[in-house]
Amino acid sequence: MEGNIRLLLPVVAPVAAGIAVLLYSGFRRVRKPLLAVVLGILVLETILLGLALTGEGSLLLWQLTDVVALRFNVDGVSRLFAVLTVGVWLLAGVYSVAYMEHEQEEHQFFGFYLIVLGVLVGLDFSGNLITMYVFYELMTLTSLPLVLHERTKEAVAAGLKYLFYSVAGAFLALFGIFLLLQICGNQTFVPGGMLTAIPEGKAGLFLAAIFCILVGFGAKAGMFPLHGWLPAAHPVAPAPASAVLSGVITKSGVLAVLRVVYFVVGPELLRGTWVQQVWILLTLLTVFMGSMLAYKEPVLKKRLAYSTVSQVSYVLFGLSMLQPQAFVGALSHVVFHSLIKNALFLCAGAVIVMTGKTQVKDMKGLGRRMPVLLGCYTVVSLALVGIPPASGFISKWYLAAGALASGTGIWAWLGPVVLLVSALLTAGYLLPLTIEGFFPGADWDGEALERKAAAEDQKKQEPSAWMLVPILVLTAGALLFGCFPGTLIQMLETIGAGVL
Amino acid sequence: MSFVQNFPFFSIIIAMFSGIISSVLDGKRARNLCLSVIVLTTGMSLAVLHFCVRTGQSYTYMMGHFPAPWGNEIRAGILEGLTAVLFGLVMFFSVTGGMDHTAVDVETSKQNLFYIMIDLMLSSLLALIYTNDLFTAYVFVEINTIAGCGLIMIRQIGRSLSSAIRYMIMSQLGSGLFLIGLSLLYDVTGHLLMSPAREAVAGIEAAGLYQVPMLVIMAVVSVGLAIKSGLYPFHYWIPDTYGYATPTASAVLSGLVSKGYIFLLIKIFYRVLGRENVIASEIVNVLFVFGLAGMLMGSVHAILERDTRRMIAYSSVAQIGYIYMGIGLGTQAGMVAAIFHMFTHSATKALLFISAVGLYEVSGNRKDFRSLQGSGYRNPLAGIGFTVGSLSMVGFPMLSGFISKLLFATSALQSPHKMLPTVIALAISTILNAVYFLRLVITLYTIPGDSPENKEKELANKEKAPEKRPVLTAGTWKLPLAIISFILLNLTLGLYSQPVVAWIGSGLAMFD
Amino acid sequence: MREILLAAPVLLPVLGGAGMLVLHLKDGGEKNDRRLMFLTEGLVLLNSLVIFWLLRYRMGANLVLFRLFGNLTVRFGLDPMGGVFAGLIGFLWPLAVLYSFEYMKHEKRKQMFFAYYVMTYGVTAGIALAGNLVTMYLCYEMLTLVTFPLVLFPMTREAKRASRRYLYYSIGGAAFAFIGLVFVLSFSATGNTDFAPGGVLDLDAAEARRNLLLLVYVLAFFGFGVKAALFPLHGWLPRATVAPTPVTALLHAVAVVKSGAFAILRFTYFSYGTEFLRGSWAQWTVMAAALVTIVFGSTMAVREIHWKRRLAYSTVSNLSYILFGATVMSPLGLAAALSHLVIHAFMKICSFFCAGAVMHQTGKTQVYELDGLGKSMPVTFGCLAVASFSLMGIPLFGGFISKWNLVQAAFACEGSWLPCAGVAVILYSALMTGIYMLTVLVRACFPKREKQRTETEPERKYRDPGWMMLVPLLIFAALILFWGLHSSSLMRLLTEIGGEAG
Repeated sequence: MEGNIRLLLPVVAPVAAGIAVLLYSGFRRVRKPLLAVVLGILVLETILLGLALTGEGSLLLWQLTDVVALRFNVDGVSRLFAVLTVGVWLLAGVYSVAYMEHEQEEHQFFGFYLIVLGVLVGLDFSGNLITMYVFYELMTLTSLPLVLHERTKEAVAAGLKYLFYSVAGAFLALFGIFLLLQICGNQTFVPGGMLTAIPEGKAGLFLAAIFCILVGFGAKAGMFPLHGWLPAAHPVAPAPASAVLSGVITKSGVLAVLRVVYFVVGPELLRGTWVQQVWILLTLLTVFMGSMLAYKEPVLKKRLAYSTVSQVSYVLFGLSMLQPQAFVGALSHVVFHSLIKNALFLCAGAVIVMTGKTQVKDMKGLGRRMPVLLGCYTVVSLALVGIPPASGFISKWYLAAGALASGTGIWAWLGPVVLLVSALLTAGYLLPLTIEGFFPGADWDGEALERKAAAEDQKKQEPSAWMLVPILVLTAGALLFGCFPGTLIQMLETIGAGVL
Repeated sequence: MSFVQNFPFFSIIIAMFSGIISSVLDGKRARNLCLSVIVLTTGMSLAVLHFCVRTGQSYTYMMGHFPAPWGNEIRAGILEGLTAVLFGLVMFFSVTGGMDHTAVDVETSKQNLFYIMIDLMLSSLLALIYTNDLFTAYVFVEINTIAGCGLIMIRQIGRSLSSAIRYMIMSQLGSGLFLIGLSLLYDVTGHLLMSPAREAVAGIEAAGLYQVPMLVIMAVVSVGLAIKSGLYPFHYWIPDTYGYATPTASAVLSGLVSKGYIFLLIKIFYRVLGRENVIASEIVNVLFVFGLAGMLMGSVHAILERDTRRMIAYSSVAQIGYIYMGIGLGTQAGMVAAIFHMFTHSATKALLFISAVGLYEVSGNRKDFRSLQGSGYRNPLAGIGFTVGSLSMVGFPMLSGFISKLLFATSALQSPHKMLPTVIALAISTILNAVYFLRLVITLYTIPGDSPENKEKELANKEKAPEKRPVLTAGTWKLPLAIISFILLNLTLGLYSQPVVAWIGSGLAMFD
Repeated sequence: MREILLAAPVLLPVLGGAGMLVLHLKDGGEKNDRRLMFLTEGLVLLNSLVIFWLLRYRMGANLVLFRLFGNLTVRFGLDPMGGVFAGLIGFLWPLAVLYSFEYMKHEKRKQMFFAYYVMTYGVTAGIALAGNLVTMYLCYEMLTLVTFPLVLFPMTREAKRASRRYLYYSIGGAAFAFIGLVFVLSFSATGNTDFAPGGVLDLDAAEARRNLLLLVYVLAFFGFGVKAALFPLHGWLPRATVAPTPVTALLHAVAVVKSGAFAILRFTYFSYGTEFLRGSWAQWTVMAAALVTIVFGSTMAVREIHWKRRLAYSTVSNLSYILFGATVMSPLGLAAALSHLVIHAFMKICSFFCAGAVMHQTGKTQVYELDGLGKSMPVTFGCLAVASFSLMGIPLFGGFISKWNLVQAAFACEGSWLPCAGVAVILYSALMTGIYMLTVLVRACFPKREKQRTETEPERKYRDPGWMMLVPLLIFAALILFWGLHSSSLMRLLTEIGGEAG
């Protein structure tokens, strides 16, 4: 092991803590020490991450075989994703304190919650293809228990679906990875790609392999055709889990695609090939389809899941343009969507905890009972739709501008159009809840419901602070980044300049 | 002239006379006489073999010193000696192994008759091996047939009578054809002694005369002997015959009698008709095809069969097919393989019949092979014997069957057109052999499970258990001796086959 | 004549086992059981020690035991490739015997079982140490004979059928392998069938009858492939799972089936030689057969709900990974095939032992009965998890290493699109592996709530098995991880073998 040893800590610490939580039977019955440990580790993790990122660095983990080395290497992209991951994890962790109260076997949830965090940080730090693949697989396996947590029939079915889509995607991608490794060896990622030309005589195979990677890792990012797991898995998981699944884990698919396209193959090799064309087509298809399905979906969490399908493909669309501005747009959308979608899921979870309602049409008059929650919901919804000055606007602006400047023929204008239509649809599926929540209409008999609630001793109106604070923080983030995007955009532009 | 050279003649005559003497002896004495005669003749054959190996030559023995073309001749070489020794051994152990059963199956008054038949059988077999005269051969073929019929018939139950008649008819058909062939040959060549006949045939061939008659002769002789040795499709007499006779008779008939005819056929091919002529005539190709068909069909029939002994009998059909396939390859190596397989088969088939007896006895003497379930535990030695025999037939290395399979395959490689059919047929036939033999072996070593249906069945079986005969061979040395000796014979042929094969080769060389 | 020791690992167990059969120890009773156990374990351990001693000190030794016929000798020789296989079984056998004792505790006819179990050890060692094709063929046939009583052991109707089928298939396969033997003998440059790296064919003579020899190669490949459960000759393997688990685990996941694969490797690389075969239609034919088997086996495994049969189908597909490596016919291919041969042994025996532990403790055999057992038998299912991940080919576990090698070898293979398709097939199979292994794990560890509640009480009584079963399990799981993390030394050895013979 040589290099910046501090890189290891943010990976190992949560994993070790998670295993300890799982194995130590003392945590099974008493709640408080468990929560203390979990929150402690989450806070510790932010510190460790800060320490690790102070120095630019790489670390040789282990020589798996003579040629295959596992290696961490931290660059701008790693930082972005790692900070995002840990931040979101911390907030969702705080939220879980209140949310998980009504769930069984908390220690199991929290144990795996911590382990996944470590694995994700490892994924963000990964310095070469194999390392990335290792953590990618581990992420699938360790996040599975989060989906399975409820253990209902649907949960188990959804969990298996999640597993199989992810594993299928991973193996599909592995085909391409094998070929890439054959061609360029297991080097550390190079911004802008390692290859100067498509290997002679193998062009067909090479491009097919890249396509396999795109579709395979696209599975995690919910890209058509392997998007099926998302709407099944998100609704059945506990709210914090679906929040991080949707906010962070889908982004790991994005990260993997990004690494392959921009750090191994190189965007120049793909520009203008059929792979790029099909890729763009798939992303746009997913964007549109996700929005449409979300529009038609009556269950809130499922609707949000479809929204994720569509939104993550915004990011992939940005990446597929192979253009600096679009790249910035894509990465900024990673950040913004992460914050927004987390907030949305946490809101949905809070509603479920407080009222037990899952269908949008049952949530009439919600604003009367919990105005703050619904307020937050409204703000982030608007951000997702892309109303300035909220954050979604910034990323979409960059995406559209990048697409127009990308010179990809028909896609250069078709892309922005689809994004626009999708934005309209987004408004269409998110805002009805706000409208009906705050303005239930004259014929809505709120009094009767309130009487009923009072009879059932549901005095409390807003959710507890444990829940509300993370939501508020996320909302604030979504707003603030929109108002002051300068630093972030600057940072992303540096990364973009490096790879393009 | 060495004294040993008289032995072939002596052994034939002694066997013959002992048969005649036995007719005035009672069963027990006849039996003892028979056994001693077998031992004696085998010893003599051994001496002959030793003599021939030592001198490296064959010799012709003129009876009464009448020279050709009038006299009668006997000829002995390595191959003759070897065959006679092996036949003697198989005969001896078959008789000992089945002795107790013979005593029960055959009426007391007819005991001596049984041993007379055995004596005659021995004598005729030896004559078929040693003779150098075609007519003598014919005479002993007939004696052989009669002795065979007697052996089958002597167990006086309905099936054995009908099968004896069937055997008689088929054999007579074969002998008749053989006789026609001989007459034609005599017509064409004017000789009945083999060596002069051979010269005459060579002359005829050289002159290009009598092509059609020669072809007819070859065809008729081959078909005649093929019928008698039970080549597929002339095999219909085999299953009944071997299936219903007494154990000794089955072992002797399947192990030796058919081989005697094959040996005679080979001898005629080499010593009278000329190998080249036979190959040129394409008779070999016909034999080859029938051999292949026999290999496969015999096994298929055996698979469909439920009666153990008939199953083994059908297996004989398949094995005879092997031998004819070897002859049909038309090469020296193929002939060596065929002869070696003859030895393998006599040793193995006799072992199987004798072991089957041991297994039957402990299982209530029912015919269906499923009744043998678990008998391998009740009579361990017979079980092992049967297993070894089966494995040898399947071609398990270290047993004789493997060597013959190997010889067949390597010799097949020398004939380009017959190579693939042969090896593929060998492989398929091995599988088929495995199917019926190992099915039986598994049955021997299974014990019924504890499921209720099994228990019910057991009860039902107990109720209708047909003939509860005492276990005849319990505690005697005869059956174990026979089984162990046959196993050893098999192992010897499997592990020390080199000299045997070498002798066969040099013996065949002496035929020319 | 010190080399006579080379025959010891073969003769010792065979004679010892035969002795156990003949010698009638009393069955039943704790004291007799213990005596039997010490006898068996002692014999097996001693034999393993002999094997390791030979590996250490007598590499390259040769011994002609006796002459079968002509140039056909029974000859043992210790070369690195045989050493790998010998070392593998020498390591696995004592552990498996240990496991069997607890597993077979309540069975009758233990003595017979262990006698054949020990004999199989000798015969498998014979295959590993065989110095020529004839010896290998001999041991191959013997292997059938000594293992079929083990399949027959439960004596149920099903077992009878299974053992019969096993016999027919194996003998039939051997019959076709025999053709290969005869042809190698006839076309060998040395006049015998001794193994030599790079093959022994007389290339001039062989070239003249090229197509015939290739046809024979294909036939023999399928012949040996019967034991390696090559489609469509795999039928015996899933059925043979009626045998007690130690048999299925060690014999039908390692010893017997790997013998088939090992024989094919020997036949391809040491008898025919890859130079003759490379690029021929025969190569593509057998490669296609291996690929079809992989797809078939893994798909059938998903469909199967009987746990052990599911694992057996998994074995079917994994064995063809080895065969796929073999058919790449390059040094790297041989190394990859051998690495999968070694690593798969640990993964599959570990999975089977887990299944056996569950059967032994709870009597449950179907996948759908396993709900919630992960709680009551954590160690067992922990080991199963390791084995499952490894079988899927997740990096850090052993299975990835061998898959990695196979893929490297396949991509380096020129001349057809088949090797690339092979990579795709391997990944498809990996996905199927994920499905059929992980559904078991998910069921056991994350049962549906409603169910768990109703059945909590009765399931309390299930526990992890005793140490005799757990120790082998843990060792195997640890080794899977070890191979996953540190395979360099193994791979260096295998690459050397490959370089010599490919």
